[in-house]
Amino acid sequence: MKIHINGTAYPLASKQSITLTNALTLHFAQPQKSTFAVALNGDFVGKGDYEHTIITAGDSIDVLQPIQGG
Amino acid sequence: MSLNIYGTQLDSRLLIGSALYPSPEVMKQAILASESQVVTLSLKRQNPNEQSGQQIWDYLQEIVADNFAYLLPNTAGCKTAKEAVTLAQMSREIFKTDWIKLEVIGDDYNLQPDPIELLHAAEQLINNGFKVLPYCTDDLVLCQRLYDLGCEVIMPWASPIGTGKGLMNPYNLETIRLRLPDATLILDAGIGKPSDACLAMEMGYDGVLLNSAIALADQPALMAKAFSQALQAGAQAYAAGVMPQRQTAHPSTPTLDTPFWHQPNYQ
Repeated sequence: MKIHINGTAYPLASKQSITLTNALTLHFAQPQKSTFAVALNGDFVGKGDYEHTIITAGDSIDVLQPIQGG
Repeated sequence: MSLNIYGTQLDSRLLIGSALYPSPEVMKQAILASESQVVTLSLKRQNPNEQSGQQIWDYLQEIVADNFAYLLPNTAGCKTAKEAVTLAQMSREIFKTDWIKLEVIGDDYNLQPDPIELLHAAEQLINNGFKVLPYCTDDLVLCQRLYDLGCEVIMPWASPIGTGKGLMNPYNLETIRLRLPDATLILDAGIGKPSDACLAMEMGYDGVLLNSAIALADQPALMAKAFSQALQAGAQAYAAGVMPQRQTAHPSTPTLDTPFWHQPNYQ
């Protein structure tokens, strides 16, 4: 069983669930040093909700950061 | 004269993009030379192994602070209302602004906005407290619908993004200005030359948003200055009142006592 963060698959034990805060540590070691926002399965999740948001197998997380744009 | 964006009065009528410059330093020079007070930017997937993304963001914040400018995040890359709404919410959290340049693309070939999804997204975002600046086609009825929803700023395209083809349909753009006299109209996308921007201002548009025309110039900072001056010239011309076109020639020099004047049949 897996979850995906920005398209990269990370293994998750069957029936295991983790918080979004924990899931983000799979993506980067020090999230507090980056500017980013998160969507779970296409829906925005505010920073204040990371700790209460449960991630289960099959979930897809997008972590976005600022970039130049027109 | 000033540009009104949801009650915020700006001296500059130029909104400038932050992409495509040959280097961050050239981007900074161009933004400063443009005297623009609104800088657009976007969001992308973060790569945890890449530090340059955070560095660019830190640099952009510095430029915006130095120039007392505002950030205008966009929803580039979105193809549905749902994607655009999610991206707008993520942008609001990061950039701490309710302003959103709403882009919902309906065609990959010419990057034409999808009017149906655009309306759905605009409605949801307005209900969610956003101040929406929709990028749309030059369709009068679409612009009217967006305005009726509560979009105080409407941004019809001049031509497809990045083409530099200028104003494809001046009649459409003039009609939108005529029919929506109270909307803030900003011409967005497809501007190639300062004369394009000047023409939009002469039509009574309130501002112009562009990126490629400056970023892809041989000397972006010099081009940014040229655009700034063109916008000022066009806005002043509109305020001054352009003379009506006439079908026939009219001499400007007084004809009374014209030297060497003679009747055609005079011998």
